[in-house]
Amino acid sequence: MTVDVALWLGCVHVAIVLTLPILLVGIVNRTKSLWAGRKGPGLLQSGWDLLRLLRKRPVYSAVATPLFRAGAWVVLAAAVLAALIAPVLGNFAPLQFHHDFIVFAYTLGLARLFLMLSAMDVGSSFEGMGAAREASFSAFVEPALFLLIGSASIATGHTSFAGLIGHVHNTTAFPLLAIPAVAVLFILLQAEASRVPVDDPLTHLELTMIHEVMILDHSGPELAAMQFAGALKLTTYAGLIAALLNPFDPAAAPLAAVVTALAIMALVAVAVGFVESLSARLRMRLVPRYLMLASIGAGLCLAAAANAWSF
Amino acid sequence: MTALIAAVLVLLLGAGVCLLPLRNAVRAAIGIASQVLATGLVWFTVVPVLMGGPAVIGDLAWAYPVGTLRIRLDALGAFFLAWSLPMTLLGSIYAAGYLRPYFNTRRHLGLHYALLNLTSLSFVLVYTGDHALVFLLGWEIAALAAWLLVIWDYTNQKVRFAGFNYLVSTHVGLIFLVAGFMILYTHTESWELGSFGDWLRRNPGSERNAVFLLLVTSFGLKSAFFPFHSWLPRAHAAAPAHVSALMSGVIHKAGLYALVRFVWLIGTPDEWMGWFLIAFSACSALVGALYTVGQRDLKRLLGYSSTENVGIAGIGFGVGCLGLSWHNPALVAIGFAGGLLHVLNHAFFKCQLFYAAGAVYQATHTVDMEKLGGLARLMPWTAASFLIGGVAISALPPLNGFTSEFVIYSGLFPGAAASSGAEAMPLTAKVALCLAGAMLAFVGAVSALSITRAFGVVFLGAPRDANVVPPVEVSLWMRLPMALHGLGVVILGVLPVLGFMLVRGPTEIALAVLPGALPATSAGVLDAIAHTLSNIGVVSGTLVACVLLLLWLRSRWVKPPVASHVTWGCGYGKPNARMQYTGSSFSSDFAQRFRGVMVTLRRQKAPEGYFPTDAYLITDCVDAVERRLFSVIKHGDASAGELSGHLREDDPRIAFAAALVALVLIAGLVVLAGGPLQ
Repeated sequence: MTVDVALWLGCVHVAIVLTLPILLVGIVNRTKSLWAGRKGPGLLQSGWDLLRLLRKRPVYSAVATPLFRAGAWVVLAAAVLAALIAPVLGNFAPLQFHHDFIVFAYTLGLARLFLMLSAMDVGSSFEGMGAAREASFSAFVEPALFLLIGSASIATGHTSFAGLIGHVHNTTAFPLLAIPAVAVLFILLQAEASRVPVDDPLTHLELTMIHEVMILDHSGPELAAMQFAGALKLTTYAGLIAALLNPFDPAAAPLAAVVTALAIMALVAVAVGFVESLSARLRMRLVPRYLMLASIGAGLCLAAAANAWSF
Repeated sequence: MTALIAAVLVLLLGAGVCLLPLRNAVRAAIGIASQVLATGLVWFTVVPVLMGGPAVIGDLAWAYPVGTLRIRLDALGAFFLAWSLPMTLLGSIYAAGYLRPYFNTRRHLGLHYALLNLTSLSFVLVYTGDHALVFLLGWEIAALAAWLLVIWDYTNQKVRFAGFNYLVSTHVGLIFLVAGFMILYTHTESWELGSFGDWLRRNPGSERNAVFLLLVTSFGLKSAFFPFHSWLPRAHAAAPAHVSALMSGVIHKAGLYALVRFVWLIGTPDEWMGWFLIAFSACSALVGALYTVGQRDLKRLLGYSSTENVGIAGIGFGVGCLGLSWHNPALVAIGFAGGLLHVLNHAFFKCQLFYAAGAVYQATHTVDMEKLGGLARLMPWTAASFLIGGVAISALPPLNGFTSEFVIYSGLFPGAAASSGAEAMPLTAKVALCLAGAMLAFVGAVSALSITRAFGVVFLGAPRDANVVPPVEVSLWMRLPMALHGLGVVILGVLPVLGFMLVRGPTEIALAVLPGALPATSAGVLDAIAHTLSNIGVVSGTLVACVLLLLWLRSRWVKPPVASHVTWGCGYGKPNARMQYTGSSFSSDFAQRFRGVMVTLRRQKAPEGYFPTDAYLITDCVDAVERRLFSVIKHGDASAGELSGHLREDDPRIAFAAALVALVLIAGLVVLAGGPLQ
């Protein structure tokens, strides 16, 4: 890869990280409203919402400590860092080194820890409940991601996140591995970005929320940071699916790779909207089972990778 | 060599002077001063060895049954000594603050400081002894000193029970260790670890396997691996905070040291040994992490997390062990460097967490998290310390716990780089390692859960119990060790290469154990790890810089004053502190899904009638292994009693039958052993 192409791709990646969260949330919401027979808000509506929140003055709980204010910004910084490690355009990421996927997973873990601590900081029973749910559900999600990465690493022999996700489509394991891998990433997306059927971002009752209940007491710029970080996680996981399926090598055919990646990510957003229109949130008791599906799917990926390798 | 002996003498002298009739403050000062001196003397010898110098070897002539005592300080021992003594010193400084209320009483503090000195002394013996008896002596001094330190509050029956529980467990471990050494001695007729190694290398087979299992059991008991951990939560909850910190962070690392030492002595271990270590350690990590979720006693929680963390380090050692059997230098380097780095990191953040828990105890006189809350406002130093330690123990960037887990993970997902060693890794091995990696990910998420719970319930929100004394921040004596440990956690997290420099020497020994090892290959694999770790450092630094930048931008953007309001309670405007989410409600959903491991006892009185007067619910997560142990003893006792009821002692037929059975057994053993002994 020449330096020019790498620089260009890096700029595109950063642009995607900064703008696509807004657009993808717009696409999800537009899909849902079209399905419900409404015209729906504009595609950039969440961007305007963020601007409005940034201009508002925050109101803090009387119980909150300085940790509460810092928490939102830690969450945002960690989510941005993770998004810079995650491949979006295929075999390319601006931050790329050996075993960077561990940094990806654990940076998101840091974001989650500070999200939960900010929730606990206001001393509300509802927010504590949300944090407890987030903590226990994330424990069921984490093994799936690592199993998936492990199977991609066995299939490709690469050690960087971009390398192993971006090269899977060249391997003999791809036909067997593609479907479970996309399913796993889709479930992970729903869990990490708090979408139906794991969590409903539009629910009105605090008792049934996970992510939304944790940011009940956030307002103004802090709320904007939390919301952008949430949308960024959606983008990151949609980007992972795009990188897995993208047949173009970004070094050889940069333009084609970028266009395909954007198209796949938009399709993923449409799919998220479809699921949200057609199904309801699962009962809390059933959510861990749904998340275990991701681990089972990742186990299938592992079996597929091992199988293809042995032939 | 001379400096080491001088350090031993200084520690002994300090311990002796502590016992003299002096004021308690003077005794503490003497204890601390002798530890400072001993640390300096030990560093004088250790630092050159750790920086790549030759091993320090010396012989001491001793009386007849022992023979020559060989002292040998190589990079592995130097690595452990380099931080064990200073951390014990910090523990002694902390003790000066923690035991302050006793200074002007009739309580003899000299004994306590003398025992702390003996603990330091035991490190010198264990980490430098190349003679099995010196090793055992150090091992035993550490065990007895730790026991006596644990029962500081001996008037409390629970504390005495916890102490005896520890004493019995550690001596069961000693029996296994002595058994292993006796087998080795009968073959080598030497007490030197080097000749043990010669025999172990040359004689693979069932006896070596037996020795391996005996030693792993003993070291597992010492380091509280599952299922040998049941003494640990009791002892840690009963001991003074600095003793818990030292036991968990420093003293019990001797078990891991000995494990690594003997794996290296074996040279080329069988493949099953590596897998056994990985499975054994993975169980410890998993069960330890699950137990941390349910605890309501802050120190018990931290105790269980020791079981988890020795498991994580053990996974690294298992990977290294596999590398040794496959002659794969990359795996050897990753496994042992990762494991040793985790041992160091764990010592830093675990002591810090225990110190913070001790500060909470001193300020509020309780460590029951359901009674606490909102301490962050009143004890900001302690809260910050617990938060830093907590983020580190959940292995999250940018702190040090992440760096060592990163190295261990990179051994579990080796990719093409590591399998290009002497021989390619078998596919089943790759799949198995990948599964271990997924399990480690689960463990990480669970420990993040329990740390969120502990920090959130104890330090955030509002105070839960009006009966708890409103705390004030603890003294400087206690804050200084916390701050130094916190500094270490941050520095090792942002500059992981510094930590790697310390483990580089020991890892080189492991690489030299490989047959046909070339210095160039060793340097290559070690440089690769150092390079990756420097990447981690850059990423962690970037993360910190990004957060600081965002916070600065925010402070420019939002001008004070900001409005404040009551916490949102679905429209209810008068929330009170008892309405907050409790620790047990935080974990109940998760604990419910792992009922088999996390046994939760409930005592409750439901509200009755139209105007209920009193109602309560008490939940407690108890140790399943210990419960199972006691129930087995109960059933065994019952069935033995039943059997003896059927047999009459004065019946001669039974005596004859027993003698006959014994004769047949002895004859069988003689036949199996190939005739009567020569």
